[in-house]
Amino acid sequence: MAKRMIEKCVTAFAWLSGLLLTASVAGLMGYVFVKGAGSLSLSLFFGDTAPMDALLFRRQVFDGIFPAMVGTLTLVGLSISIAVPVGVATGIYMAEYATGRTKHIFGLFFDILAGIPSILVGFFGFSVAVFLHHQVSDRIAPCLLISALALAFLVLPYLIRTTQTALENLPRQVRVTAPALGASPIQTIFYVLLPQSLSGIVSGIILSIGRCAEDTAVIMLTGVVATAGLPSSLLSNYEALPFFIYTISSQYADHTELMRGYGAAIVLLAICALLFTLATLIRHRLSDHLLYGGR
Amino acid sequence: MLAQTSIKIKVRNLFFSYAETAVLKDLTVDILDRSITAVVGPSGRGKSTLLSIFNRLWEDIPGARMKGSVHIHLDGTDRDIYHPACSLPDLRRKVGLVFQIPNPLPMSIYKNVAFPRKLAGGSSKQQVMDAVETALKQAFLWEDVKDRLREDARSLSGGQQQRLCMARALVVNPEVLLLDEPTSSLDAEATEIIEQLILSLKENCTIVMVSHDMAQVKRVAERWLELSEGKMMANGRISAPACRAR
Repeated sequence: MAKRMIEKCVTAFAWLSGLLLTASVAGLMGYVFVKGAGSLSLSLFFGDTAPMDALLFRRQVFDGIFPAMVGTLTLVGLSISIAVPVGVATGIYMAEYATGRTKHIFGLFFDILAGIPSILVGFFGFSVAVFLHHQVSDRIAPCLLISALALAFLVLPYLIRTTQTALENLPRQVRVTAPALGASPIQTIFYVLLPQSLSGIVSGIILSIGRCAEDTAVIMLTGVVATAGLPSSLLSNYEALPFFIYTISSQYADHTELMRGYGAAIVLLAICALLFTLATLIRHRLSDHLLYGGR
Repeated sequence: MLAQTSIKIKVRNLFFSYAETAVLKDLTVDILDRSITAVVGPSGRGKSTLLSIFNRLWEDIPGARMKGSVHIHLDGTDRDIYHPACSLPDLRRKVGLVFQIPNPLPMSIYKNVAFPRKLAGGSSKQQVMDAVETALKQAFLWEDVKDRLREDARSLSGGQQQRLCMARALVVNPEVLLLDEPTSSLDAEATEIIEQLILSLKENCTIVMVSHDMAQVKRVAERWLELSEGKMMANGRISAPACRAR
């Protein structure tokens, strides 16, 4: 009898937890949308600049979030293209090649890396920038490239661990298919193991995109500024949406300005959704076409 | 009799264990060229393990250990397949393996069969196409699939999938074909086709198959080898001189 009661309680608790989480996400998104929907207008994006001029990069936008959107997209794109090859390759190494002590020690390091607060990663990036400024060239300062490298460093452990887990979870039956047909280890990895574990790897990439798009601590110390316009090169300062939201909500002068922060939050969510969709689409195309060279 | 028929696989004093569990103990056996040899015996006595020893597919299993020697007559020479100079991809193309559960890759029928050729490289598109057609014909599958080669291989029935896997193993012209209970997941009709197929392949291949079904063994195999308690217990003889036991 007591046993059944406990079982019921556990089930109810699990249900409630799930419900609470779903409700909070819905509540959060709903709140942002209700608050911010009113401020979504062309002037939020482009300020006083004509939209076409801004989109064709003919004139700079000073009073809108367009440069911050471009900054965030560039930053995420850069960080992900640096982190994915390294992260996936390390994941492959961990799952397919590393053994015994090496694997254990590396795994421990990656877990520690995953636990490092992002402000420390930002601080490290900042120190690297200062070091390079003094030792290499005084043109180097906190900039887009340093931020992208620091963010890539921040998301590496997620990519490594998800790739490793996805590969390790493949059943032995799948694992031996290609070797039994005369595939070398590297052929097995590229033709069978990676395509079969793509969905796991892509979920790691999606997690990393989200992390890169939202992180504020790292970029604050490594090159983001409130007004920079569009980034002109990898070594320039840039604007980013999370930093815009942060500055506006901490320094707003009036209600309309705060509402612009909510508007920017909606745009940030939309950009993340867009990138997630893109990642999923790429995954389908990859598994269908690229790796097997079409059906 | 024995002296006249050449020996394809020569196993000498083979011991095999997984961690602490001994699976095969001092097995010595000869398998004759172009014959069908069945490996029978209770579950867990090393039947499938014996097949994986012939193409070295067991080697990545943690804790697995082997002692003894295995020689296979390939490309006209007697080869110690555990010699360090022996190329694994090459060995596995010459010694094909078909698993118990059909395992088509998630791609088209054509690409599945062409896959081992692609791995081996060095063939033109036309050569691969010809080889795929020949292999599908050998596996009695050509008529079923010739109009749907671009369809996903997983859309085939279980029996067709298993024949596809046989065609995939045959496309690189193996000299030895290992079959691990190839019909255990199939119905009676599909089983019959596979059995006929196995009989027809004997002309070109040495076939070693694991089976639980003694009736099937009697229908298909010429010799059978019973593994029990990790040793060869019986050395059956159905219609031809059998393999030798110690």
